[in-house]
Amino acid sequence: MIRIGDVLVSRGEGGVYGERTLAGARVWDPYRSKLAALYYVGTGVELTPEMRVLYLGAANGTTVSHVADYTEVVYSVEFAPHPMQDLLEVARRRRNIVPIMADACRPELYAPLVEAVDLLYQDVAQPDQADIAIRNCVFLKNGGTLVLMLKTRSVDVRKEPGEVFQDTVAALEAAGLQIREQVWLVPYHQDHAAIVCTKPGPVYLKGGTCNE
Amino acid sequence: MRSYWFGDMDNGVCTPCPGDLPLRAGRVATIHTRLEDFVPLSWEDAVSCGICTTRAEYIAALREVCFFAAEQEIRERYAGKDAELLQMVRTLDEMDTVINLLSERVVEWHQVRHPTFSRKYRKTPAHVMIKTIAMKGRGALGRTASQVEQLSVARTDLAREVSDRANRVMPNTSALIGGLVAARLMAIAGGLLPLSRLPASVIQVLGARTAIFAHLRTKSPSPKHGIIFQHRRVHNAPREVRGKVARVLAGKLAIAAKLDYFRGVAVPEFLETAQARIDATGAGTTPKEQP
Repeated sequence: MIRIGDVLVSRGEGGVYGERTLAGARVWDPYRSKLAALYYVGTGVELTPEMRVLYLGAANGTTVSHVADYTEVVYSVEFAPHPMQDLLEVARRRRNIVPIMADACRPELYAPLVEAVDLLYQDVAQPDQADIAIRNCVFLKNGGTLVLMLKTRSVDVRKEPGEVFQDTVAALEAAGLQIREQVWLVPYHQDHAAIVCTKPGPVYLKGGTCNE
Repeated sequence: MRSYWFGDMDNGVCTPCPGDLPLRAGRVATIHTRLEDFVPLSWEDAVSCGICTTRAEYIAALREVCFFAAEQEIRERYAGKDAELLQMVRTLDEMDTVINLLSERVVEWHQVRHPTFSRKYRKTPAHVMIKTIAMKGRGALGRTASQVEQLSVARTDLAREVSDRANRVMPNTSALIGGLVAARLMAIAGGLLPLSRLPASVIQVLGARTAIFAHLRTKSPSPKHGIIFQHRRVHNAPREVRGKVARVLAGKLAIAAKLDYFRGVAVPEFLETAQARIDATGAGTTPKEQP
């Protein structure tokens, strides 16, 4: 990852969302992007120029634009029409973003479009985040990395965030993923955690179903 | 055989799909992929398919398909008649907030300019007050007041438009509780489809979020009604049957929303029995419902 001093940056065309620039590089704000926050509070995963990424929950393309600065191609999945309009605009200027309008819960619908990827990044506000990640592991190469941004309050507002965190980690382990890192994203994001896993071999969803 | 966006792969032999963009995008939507034995595509297959020769060309071709599909999908999602109504209702509610805030502020400002002024013992409605300030107020005060006035006019127009459109988009629901409240229910649910999927018990307390969560968390009583309280048959009902009216009304609304979404036209037979039942509940003389 590129840092200028302590500041995380990425190199690419600026002005995507009014981000600051530092010595010609785009500042990647940990308060706005959970992935950036992960690089500040933990190790995360080194993004490399040959990397292929599947990004679930691309939203307005803010974080996507930074990921695209670092990697070869980013398959960006987003479901809601409003943020999708922004994402398309970002993708028009960045030729290594493939925008896919689809529901991350239903990978079978975008399976014909996506190749095998080195990194699966998931940031969706859904109650069954672990299931969604596991289902999408079909696109992840063996030895590839899953980064899951857990929004504990979206999973269940009435459960303790810590409990949701443990349940999710347990679900990922049960599916056959190896947990590499699990951190809370404080002070940048409240009740949000990041889980970084490796896919050692095939990953199976055990008895879970994905909500519509 | 495995189907991908660029064609079908059968034991390393590729049958490319036609190059026409709408055709390609349309075909992707029809492919049924089984995830159990799924093998992700490799872009080299697209080369053997004759779709492209380089990696850059591959990504460019794929992007074309994805952009086309996404733009089409967005258009379809917005084409629903409820999409604009939703924005209109939200604008209306925000205008109300703004008008109230600004009116209060303008009156307070006016009070400072006129130390002897008081609204006590006068029955001047807020909008008349604003009108006087707009005419008499000097400088920015007068101009702000007249802006508030204009905004109120726009608000009235918008309210009428919302109501008219709701009558067209959701005829059954509007017939039961009026266009404005129907539109608000729809806006809170997030659209006509989400509203039609809600159970009656949820419709009954839509808009009473604070109360319902306070109820779930503490021992406070459950809310009897949310936004449907705005309807006269609920707020005019005698206290002891108000909850009952809300419940019956919500039950009928749940059916009405489903009719609106799936049929899209008013259903007189349903409306007649529903209205009678709601009225009877309000009067405290609930007849046995006809099967």
